[in-house]
Amino acid sequence: MSRYIKTMTQVNLLNLTKRYPNQPAPVLKDFSLCVENGELVALLGPSGSGKSTLLKLITGIERPDAGDVQFDSVSILTLPPSQRGAVFMFQKSYLFPFLSVEENIGFGLKVKRAPRDEICREVGRMLDLIGLPGIEKRKPSQLSGGEQQRVALARALVTRPKLLLLDEPLSSLDTEVRLNLQEAIRVIQRELGITTILVTHDLGEAMAMSDRMALLLKGEIVAAGKPEALFHRPPSLAAAQFMGVSTFLNGRKAAGSLVTPWGALQITCVETSPSTTYAIRPEHIRLEKEPATNALPGKVTDCVFRGEYIEYQVAMGGLSVRARMPMPAPTFPHGEPVFVKLPREQLFEVAG
Amino acid sequence: MPDNDKRYTEHAENTEKHGKQKRKIHAIPLLPCFPCTNYFFRLLLYPLLAAPLGVFILYAFSQGWFFPAPFPETWTSAPFARVLSDPRTLSSLRDSLLIAFAVSLLSLVIGYPAARALGLRQFRGRQVVWLLLYLPTVVPPLAIGMGLNILFLQIGLAGTIPGIVLAHLVPTLPYVTFTLAGAFARYDEAYEFQAWVLGASASRTLFTVTLPMLAPSLAVAALFAFLISWSQYLLTLLIGSGRVITLPVLLFSAASGGNPVTIAALALVFLAPPALVIATTIRAPRDLSHNL
Repeated sequence: MSRYIKTMTQVNLLNLTKRYPNQPAPVLKDFSLCVENGELVALLGPSGSGKSTLLKLITGIERPDAGDVQFDSVSILTLPPSQRGAVFMFQKSYLFPFLSVEENIGFGLKVKRAPRDEICREVGRMLDLIGLPGIEKRKPSQLSGGEQQRVALARALVTRPKLLLLDEPLSSLDTEVRLNLQEAIRVIQRELGITTILVTHDLGEAMAMSDRMALLLKGEIVAAGKPEALFHRPPSLAAAQFMGVSTFLNGRKAAGSLVTPWGALQITCVETSPSTTYAIRPEHIRLEKEPATNALPGKVTDCVFRGEYIEYQVAMGGLSVRARMPMPAPTFPHGEPVFVKLPREQLFEVAG
Repeated sequence: MPDNDKRYTEHAENTEKHGKQKRKIHAIPLLPCFPCTNYFFRLLLYPLLAAPLGVFILYAFSQGWFFPAPFPETWTSAPFARVLSDPRTLSSLRDSLLIAFAVSLLSLVIGYPAARALGLRQFRGRQVVWLLLYLPTVVPPLAIGMGLNILFLQIGLAGTIPGIVLAHLVPTLPYVTFTLAGAFARYDEAYEFQAWVLGASASRTLFTVTLPMLAPSLAVAALFAFLISWSQYLLTLLIGSGRVITLPVLLFSAASGGNPVTIAALALVFLAPPALVIATTIRAPRDLSHNL
């Protein structure tokens, strides 16, 4: 792969706004994001959050109402899609069914009038890269879903694009194939050092593949940062919900503790705002038989065995708390009164 | 309409998924009283359909077939050869082919953008456009032909082949547009997006991606246009003003002339191109059909 010329591209999305006719709310509102050279940024958001629209704006299939798309500080908005050098890969492979694997991968080079022997060489190299050598002559219909996606990736990369856009590329695949491909894409992306934007609604996929993550809700970035940071300390309520946090405790702060309707809890950080919301990840909650510090009384209402952990639902006043206890975990029968221990150092404050 | 389209797509997917089961359902006989009903049904139906053709062949390849004789006395290709070598037949055959091919091509060129818009886009007045496209199939061709004739006389298109081609577009365009709109409703534009971002220009994408993807439907649409134009008598007669003699016009005049041998031979010539086109395209869609 040493002969692959690394393309250096920093992508800047500036204040992008897009509104479709007959829709009251804009799909994207003043959206700004900077993707560094060689970085993989994941955009995580539910359907309808404007993720796919963003990719269409970057590739030039749609035009933004306002804002700018810059590659290395140069605006590309005036360029047609064919000259932007941003390629994408969708949930469906969209391989041209009437062309062989070889012709599909070579499509981008053939369009650029590359000599035949170069196309042949590059196609061979790409097939090696995606781990499927020797399938040149096959038709897309003869490939499995995972193989089709690999070929689609090869077809996108053979043109040495400046930017790779992945639009839920793995969501139609089986778990095992998906995990394999996640890894393969990540390895290839690192190896080629290609700037990449991944759009997904799968938290696990976003965390496993990205250098940086941005949470997208209704066309706006709710939070952005390293996957670990966002996972452990999501800054806002919306971000925390995204990251799988379901326990939120409203209360009043008083001298190093949080006074909630269910009891007082010790907290670490002390800030000025008197009434606030604290959150805790489900895997940090412990269930105890005996009263302890930072433990509130509750009653087990549900229990689901998940293999690596047991998931309990505990009713605490009007609040339902989800706790994930790693195996081996103590078993609590349905209706058992328990104490919900919320470790002081794991409670974190979230903004409205 | 969007709901209809959706249902159509879902149906297509279902058919794909349960293809085998669907095919089995097709094999159930039409009248399931006895196991062999279907067989007898075909035994009656096929001769009924083939009978007129058989009579034509008997007439065109024989001589001296008179009333009491059950079959012709001598078998010869002479009458057929005579009709075929007649310059009037040849020139009408040439004109008919020319007109039908031109109409097919023009119908595709005009019908394609309309079908694309109707199949892929939602816009105000979509229903009105559908209705307008349906109109030629409802309005009597005589009314269309008369109106066009007056117009074409003024602008000098009456009695010319271009004039006839334009007139033939009136009945062919609805069929071509409907066929292609159906294909577009099942089509996914993302294939084109892929081609664009890989560096293909809009025109290159059209010829290397869109048209090959739609090839089966384009073939069916062109076939419709060809057959409708080929068998068009009234519009050709009205617009051609007797100056352009196509095969149907010639066949009609022969039919009123009353020589059964000439009629039979001309009818066979008239039948040949459509039969040939159908025979070749009947297999083509199967070869061209992809897992869309």
